[in-house]
Amino acid sequence: MPMYIDPHIHLVSRTTDDYEAMHKAGIVATIEPAFWLGQPRTEVGSFKDYFSTLVGWERFRASQFGIVHYCTMGLNSKEANNIPLAEQVMELLPLYVGKEGVVAIGEIGYDDQTEAEDRFYREQLELAKEVDLPVLIHTPHRDKKRGTTRSMDVAEEHGMDPGWIIVDHNNEETVKEVLDRGYWAGFTIYPHTKMGSERMVEIVKQYGPERIIVNSAADWGISDPLAVPKTADLMRKMGIPEEHVQMVTYKNALAAFSLSGQMHEDDWLKAPPIDQTKKMSGNSVLRGGQVPRVEGPSDRVEN
Amino acid sequence: MNPKSELFAYLKEILQNNANEKSLNWLDEKSKKIQDSGSKNAFYLAFSQASRFFSKENLNLDQEAKRKAHSLISGFQPEFWNILQTARTYLLLHFSIEKEEWLAAIKQLFETGDLYEQQALYASLSLMPYPEEMIPRSIEGCRTNMTLVFDAISLNNPYPTIYFPELNWNQMVLKAVFMQRPLYRIQQLDHRRNPALAEIASDFAHERWAAGRNVMPELWRLVSPFINEKFMKDLEKVMNSEDLLEQKGGALALYHSDFPAAKALLNAHPELIQAIEKGIISWEKIGQEFQETRV
Repeated sequence: MPMYIDPHIHLVSRTTDDYEAMHKAGIVATIEPAFWLGQPRTEVGSFKDYFSTLVGWERFRASQFGIVHYCTMGLNSKEANNIPLAEQVMELLPLYVGKEGVVAIGEIGYDDQTEAEDRFYREQLELAKEVDLPVLIHTPHRDKKRGTTRSMDVAEEHGMDPGWIIVDHNNEETVKEVLDRGYWAGFTIYPHTKMGSERMVEIVKQYGPERIIVNSAADWGISDPLAVPKTADLMRKMGIPEEHVQMVTYKNALAAFSLSGQMHEDDWLKAPPIDQTKKMSGNSVLRGGQVPRVEGPSDRVEN
Repeated sequence: MNPKSELFAYLKEILQNNANEKSLNWLDEKSKKIQDSGSKNAFYLAFSQASRFFSKENLNLDQEAKRKAHSLISGFQPEFWNILQTARTYLLLHFSIEKEEWLAAIKQLFETGDLYEQQALYASLSLMPYPEEMIPRSIEGCRTNMTLVFDAISLNNPYPTIYFPELNWNQMVLKAVFMQRPLYRIQQLDHRRNPALAEIASDFAHERWAAGRNVMPELWRLVSPFINEKFMKDLEKVMNSEDLLEQKGGALALYHSDFPAAKALLNAHPELIQAIEKGIISWEKIGQEFQETRV
């Protein structure tokens, strides 16, 4: 069965049914970018607990379903507009960016393209350089084209290497410039609002598979945690070569985010030697070779 | 050597046998920097980044190393530790600042720790400079649903048996039962058995039976010293089980009871008595078999 990576999904908002379905569909690894929660936070402690969830509980929860969970750390553009709070979050970030499984600074960038957003975007680009992490850029929904161009201009102003930046939420209007300038181009398959799978197929046909990365960005809104495998299936049906399908739904994401040194194919291909203390109610066992881990239903903790 | 430098030397030695030179050099450099500067940020960063230098493979220790651990700190069992958590503990012990500041810094570390950082922190509670101050934190830690973290506190760790008040001790043991963790790996379990825990264990067994589920055989270890008329009913049920492993647990509980009816019930199973007396049946073996075949 083909393996997939969903390199952008907000799993804190998803149910265990989703995890089960994702695992069944072949998703072996996920990346959860730090984002907002649908309403603005008012206290820095809310950020702290959220960040801790991303490296703690959610990682554990994913592992119960045989999925390796990574995350990106950052202050999102929406909440950058609460300056006193944003300053406190910036002080918190150094505690998290060096942690295991943190594969990028993100998602950062612009929302309304305000001065405050610009300030914290730049500060976080500097942070990424300091700790040698790639950057995941969230491009704005409104005034998208110009916002995307500006995100790249500013990144280059700060001396960032485009090969270390994933520009996300692209569409037909933004993709050409992003690829031409040497960035990774993320595409979010979002029912109704952003890219649909059919449009994605056309883009891969037109631009080829190089540096294109498909994700679901599934969160608390209408979204589909199976968007990546579903899009892959549609691509196959529409005659896109298997090698290209694998690139945009697995290999490219791995190549981009493994620049962090925090993500390795072996993390799921070869489960680490599991000692007894790591057993989830005892059932998790090393299965070596090229077979991803499969855990059974007794692998759940009773609450 | 004072006890602290003896512990440093010991941890260093076991790491030397389990890690490469590059990683050990990094550890030397960072631990010296942390010790000399007392810098919180230097400590936080090194504590996180240790994962880039040390693996999560279990430490490989010989008998002598295991014995020495125990002689340094009673109940210290690094044979259940991985290499990464040992390195993290080594860094932590080099972070030595004024007490109140240290407590605040460690609180922040606990609160922002990832899964494996928390594992390292909870497992090393007994090695920390102010262990008695960590009681509320360790009790809070037991509320986790992350098995890895719960195990770090409850299994092969001398901390709970020394520091936990009875209520919290009982809750920890019961949660271990709930999560089907190996009870034989809880240190000093026999020593801290108590009537309240026996009652709770029996009630739990009744709940499981009511739900048509089986009961882990190690549970009867908690009941054994307090067997009375009431608990005899439970053990009669256990001895009628079709699962031989459950019978073994029941038999061992009965064997160590002075209650007359317990002896009478056990006498109907001479082969189990014989196996107990030959050491073929023990709590450890029951627990191991249960983990391997039933969980």
